[in-house]
Amino acid sequence: MNHVKLLFFATLRERAGTKVMELDIPDDLTIQGLKERLASDNPNLKESLKSVLITINREYAFDEAVVPLNAEIGMFPPVSGG
Amino acid sequence: MNYPTIFSITEDEIDLNDLLAKITLTSTGAAAIFTGMVRGETVRGEAHQTDYLEYEAYIPMAEAKMKQVADEIRMKWSVIEGIAIVQRIGKLYPKTPTVLIACTAAHRDTGVFEAARYGIDRLKEIVPIWKKEVSLDGQFWVEGDYTPKPGE
Repeated sequence: MNHVKLLFFATLRERAGTKVMELDIPDDLTIQGLKERLASDNPNLKESLKSVLITINREYAFDEAVVPLNAEIGMFPPVSGG
Repeated sequence: MNYPTIFSITEDEIDLNDLLAKITLTSTGAAAIFTGMVRGETVRGEAHQTDYLEYEAYIPMAEAKMKQVADEIRMKWSVIEGIAIVQRIGKLYPKTPTVLIACTAAHRDTGVFEAARYGIDRLKEIVPIWKKEVSLDGQFWVEGDYTPKPGE
């Protein structure tokens, strides 16, 4: 199993009801698979996950990427700084 | 050449004079500075009032992406001398500066204006910062419309 840390921001943080979540996932799970698991574990997140941006170890990542061991995964809506 | 590059997320007031001094070299003759502030009254588009904005950031990643924006500026405009990119977060009220992008160069006709413009545009695309708008009508998260591509 792979132990990962999820960080939620903005709307994702409010919907998840937490800033941080630690999770054990299978070694070969992809970002797409992780999103599906989160949506079924946490129906509140389902809508937000459709347009979510994902980062792995502070770099943008995409659905087909396999989650590396002990990754720090960020989940958030399109950014709106400035 | 070792040119100064400053990038930070802060809860403190943005000190323009201090930042400008830090990116001014003896060879510098021009600075282009963009700063954005909280707009209390919006007339363009859907007219509305804003009581305050509440900013949050994924701080370590945001600072790394600001560094990346500075690197991109230097790739495009090699004459740029100093670069400062600063975003203030927390609860910020109308008229308060929230962000600052400043670029310096030897002369004004070197692309220094375009470099600062590029900096604020890229910050709004790839730097993980968000703002929640709060007014009498309620509150909502402002969301951008850019999806970063692989390698960004």
